[in-house]
Amino acid sequence: MIGEQLIGVILLALLALTAITIARLRNLLATAMLSGIFSLLGACWMLFLDAPDVAFTEAAVGAGISTILILATLCVVGADEKQVQESPLALLVVLVAGGVLVYGTLDMPRFGDPNAPAHQSLVTQAYLYSANAPAEHRETQPSRDAHELETFAVGIPNTVTTVLASFRGYDTMGETAVIFTAGLGVVVILGGARHRRFEPSETVDITPSDERPEA
Amino acid sequence: MDAIREALSWLFIVPGALLCVTGGIGLLRLPDFYARMHAAGVTDTLGTALVLVGLMLQPADWTVTVKLAVILFFLYVTSPTAAHALIHAAYTSGHRPEFAKDAPLPREVESR
Amino acid sequence: MKAYLVVAIAGVLVTMAMALVRAARGPSVYDRILAVNSFGTVTVLFISVLGFLLGRPDFLDLALLYALLNFVGTIAILKYFKYGNLAAGED
Repeated sequence: MIGEQLIGVILLALLALTAITIARLRNLLATAMLSGIFSLLGACWMLFLDAPDVAFTEAAVGAGISTILILATLCVVGADEKQVQESPLALLVVLVAGGVLVYGTLDMPRFGDPNAPAHQSLVTQAYLYSANAPAEHRETQPSRDAHELETFAVGIPNTVTTVLASFRGYDTMGETAVIFTAGLGVVVILGGARHRRFEPSETVDITPSDERPEA
Repeated sequence: MDAIREALSWLFIVPGALLCVTGGIGLLRLPDFYARMHAAGVTDTLGTALVLVGLMLQPADWTVTVKLAVILFFLYVTSPTAAHALIHAAYTSGHRPEFAKDAPLPREVESR
Repeated sequence: MKAYLVVAIAGVLVTMAMALVRAARGPSVYDRILAVNSFGTVTVLFISVLGFLLGRPDFLDLALLYALLNFVGTIAILKYFKYGNLAAGED
């Protein structure tokens, strides 16, 4: 099992490296590209945690749309970062807040602990039953009504997908409607100038000033 | 049968992974953008082809094999197109190779 | 945990790290677009091999869709750099 944990550790290390690089770079175009890579790494991490629906959303939204939208913003705003004074008070506040957050997580149960409260409740039992409940599982639940739990069996092999598509199906339908409307809005806004012919002088060069090639 | 499948899997997947790493080393060490394009092309074509064909040999449903074949086909169609678009965009907007700094503009840009 | 799949995942992770370094370092913006494109292709490989490693070949649907999204994303970024607008170039 050490091998599987190692993949997770390496993915998280790459995520941390990307985040530190994004914070340290001054070139905003580079940070736009690196944020695309960050979302791709996040999608791989979620896939490693066995949540393919979430991973796909992260890949599509983070690496596809978000990068384009950040570039569109840079097109309007300009790609040079404003110089900010470094402040030790800000660093102290961030360290204290981060330390308090880490202290708060020390009380959480260990990852995957079967005695955690989240794994013992009736809702979780119902969700677990929904994914192809095998016959042996029924014998370990003497206090639950086996027939009542069996009505939850849906037949989808992944629990996350069962929750998203079957138990919270109306939620997913609403989210699909929201995303479709957002996509329509983007197409209307960005595609409005479709019939104009762009002269070369009208195009905008969004490379930052220290990267423009010598004319 | 299993031994043959195992041997073939080793034969395909490991060289594929090594070619991906080779492409990565090229991305890091080559001196110029146009040279790095060549290195990325190695990863995009033979690296993925070997790994995906090796994965097709694993024992699984026939739908898995079909999906791997479709992934390979899409990567083969889209990677060279994206590479061409990238180099075209770089060249026509003035990015010149390291050792040919005074290469002329292509004629179709000048006449626009 | 077949040994050749572990080797494949290791190779893919090393390539991801190298593409990341190139995206952070690359002196021109085209180096960075190239690095993101390579990272996308390597992510497709990672998803496929991880699916077989964890015994869930269903992840291949994700790899297929991501191969297409990677291409569309790269072309959209290039269109932005060339024209400054995603709708330009259509006549």
